Amino acid sequence: MRILVCVKAVPGSTEVKMDPKTNTIVRDGGSAVLNPFDASALEVALALKDAAAAGDPVRVTVLSMGIPATAKILRDCIARGADDAILLSDRAFAGADTLATTYALSLGAAAMGEAPDLVLCGKMAVDGDTAQIGPELAGALGIPCVADVAELVSLADGALTVRHATDAGVATVELALPALLTVAKDIAQLRMPSIAGVRAAEDAPVRVLSAADAGADSARCGLAGSPTQVVRSFVPERSGAAERVEGTAAGQAAKLVDLLGGMGL
Amino acid sequence: MIDIHPLTADFEDYLRDESRTVGSAQSISFPESEAEVREILARTAPSPVTLQGARTGLAAGAVPEGGHVMNLSRMNRYRGLHVDGETGRFHLCVEPGVILSELRKRLAKREIPAADWDEASLAALARFEQAPAQFFPTDPTEASAELGGMAACNASGARSYRYGAMRAHVSAVRVVLATGDVLALRRGEARARGRRLDLTCEDGRSLSLDLPTYVMPAVKNASGYYVADDMDAVDLFVGSDGTLGIITELELELLPVPAVTWGVSCFFEDESQALDFTIAARPVLGGRAAAFEYFDGAALSILRRQKSASAAFSGLPQVPERYRACVFVELECDDEDQALESLDAIGRAMGEVGADERDTWVARTDVDRECQRFFRHAVPESVNMLIDERRRTDPVITKLGSDMSVPDDRLHDVVALYRRTLAEAGLESAAWGHIGNNHLHVNVLPRDAADYAAGKELFKRWAAEVTAMGGAVSAEHGVGKMKRDFLLTMYGPEHIAEMARLKRRFDPEVRLNRGNLFAASEAEGQPVPAAFAAKGDE
Repeated sequence: MRILVCVKAVPGSTEVKMDPKTNTIVRDGGSAVLNPFDASALEVALALKDAAAAGDPVRVTVLSMGIPATAKILRDCIARGADDAILLSDRAFAGADTLATTYALSLGAAAMGEAPDLVLCGKMAVDGDTAQIGPELAGALGIPCVADVAELVSLADGALTVRHATDAGVATVELALPALLTVAKDIAQLRMPSIAGVRAAEDAPVRVLSAADAGADSARCGLAGSPTQVVRSFVPERSGAAERVEGTAAGQAAKLVDLLGGMGL
Repeated sequence: MIDIHPLTADFEDYLRDESRTVGSAQSISFPESEAEVREILARTAPSPVTLQGARTGLAAGAVPEGGHVMNLSRMNRYRGLHVDGETGRFHLCVEPGVILSELRKRLAKREIPAADWDEASLAALARFEQAPAQFFPTDPTEASAELGGMAACNASGARSYRYGAMRAHVSAVRVVLATGDVLALRRGEARARGRRLDLTCEDGRSLSLDLPTYVMPAVKNASGYYVADDMDAVDLFVGSDGTLGIITELELELLPVPAVTWGVSCFFEDESQALDFTIAARPVLGGRAAAFEYFDGAALSILRRQKSASAAFSGLPQVPERYRACVFVELECDDEDQALESLDAIGRAMGEVGADERDTWVARTDVDRECQRFFRHAVPESVNMLIDERRRTDPVITKLGSDMSVPDDRLHDVVALYRRTLAEAGLESAAWGHIGNNHLHVNVLPRDAADYAAGKELFKRWAAEVTAMGGAVSAEHGVGKMKRDFLLTMYGPEHIAEMARLKRRFDPEVRLNRGNLFAASEAEGQPVPAAFAAKGDE
């Protein structure tokens, strides 16, 4: 069984730098970390690998699109138990929206040689917060998708049963492989690497693919392939102003109604 | 004039500390300056005065035995900074009420309040802002501790394996004596000649002191006054449990943050492997190991139970059942190649003792480091919760945690002693702590009052046997009021009497921190009774 885990390097702190011209996040790799949702997706894959029968081993590949420094994060995924890694890295990929990113990732999946049986993504990335990549990638690969999976109930005979959050509550879904899941952060906690894992990862190659290597159509990559236009992005200003409502319960309720009314609510 | 409050119910919290011992007092004050400290001393004379900070101590050093409580938490200003011309190191002057966690944040963010600093300090601050990141290495588990209390008990922490205890990082102190005199001491400026120490107060009054004559064991030690031939006067006050004077300022030596810090949790299927690993890995890793911490099988079992029982602990990593012991090593290296070499060395040392390097957790990211920190701190927290639960049925029960250290070559012996005697007494326990310094906190987990009494007896026996091994009865928590019997065992009545005489030279009316290190009667000069087990007596 082949599992592909899509991961993203995200800023390690909340102090995100924006490019004033493109309104996209500046990624210098200095303090980048593995997107926490993707960390959970990787652990789901590694747990399936641990549980696999000897005759049906699981191979876990991690895939990312990013700057060359992202290779360090992919190598760390290998230290934790992934078998290999592919990095899509090229200036042509820069400034991609979710559509262009999905296109690139689909090329990365194709580069595995053997189509993955299961694709795992984090529900969303903590920098972009779109939660669009997983479902779009499933569309690009032509496989079914379940989003926001909180529990993987069973996997047997090419069928998968999962529980996921919906607007109405929690749904249990059965689906056939190949399939794509996006996972909630709490589904699993990524293990730490062992000394043996760290050592193995130091020697493990990370396959770096340029746009040309991946056979990409440049018109569908990066800014050029991104129909999304970010007009402006900004950090909302926070105000510490607060009004304390005192008095009896009835008095407080009346005052609250006045206040809300005053805000046009 | 500073307020002196009657110690009413509003101030009851100030009668206890983390030792969970409750004392008594008649009044309390919260001075904000050295002048107010002196004013309070004068106004409360001749009452006893117990000094306090955050009350995070585990030896009841801040618990009053009557009289006045002087809480120094409001003396929390940053007073200045200078750069040592020879070493290039920064020295930050703080008041005793500065909280460790706040100091760490301010150093990390380089946001030190400097509103009233002089020009020299501001110039040093400008250099500090451009220099590589700095830190203060003393790291007790309880980061809400205040620097004054940490100095008073010569606090340590995990990283004291590499950096030593607090004493090594205090470069100057200002001390108000019980008489109101002020000593301003800077390391290197006032040294003893042999065991004779001459000091001069700011007003010119001189003090000629005979230091106690005992030889301190060559182990991690926070037991009694630090004394050594030709010692520095600063070292006498650090670790004196607030019995000699009131520290109103202290200067902390800062160090550059290491380039690479990785944590490695190594798991073993039995305890003897963990001890052998420690003995094998210590010399190989040398200065690259900042911490060597231990968690025994019972501690790991408690964590497993907590993880499944409590939502607050659900984020703990899963510890497989076959793991019966864990040694955590914190590596500090100049670069990642050096850290990788150190990982190899740890792997080899595990192999030598029959363990497997695959049974490790290597934390190289902030997320993983935080996970390991949570794991390490969850152990004492879980045990405290367990004890609190048992207290509900039997209020006499409190935590019984040992704090003793032995020389390197006695590590196996002391662990064998703990295991044998705990089994003989039929007591439940969990052990963790600073195995690199042969310093474990063995915690008896009493199920009832009989267990509690048996545990206390056991600790007395350990104090005698650890002393016979050349160890210390308190390695880091200080002696306070909880361990003064152990101090008597360690040094014997003659040396306790010497300590009491030294105290009276600074504090003739025996006002400060009565009951710490020795009973008030002994401090006043009454004969010290023979120890419950003579030194070296097994």
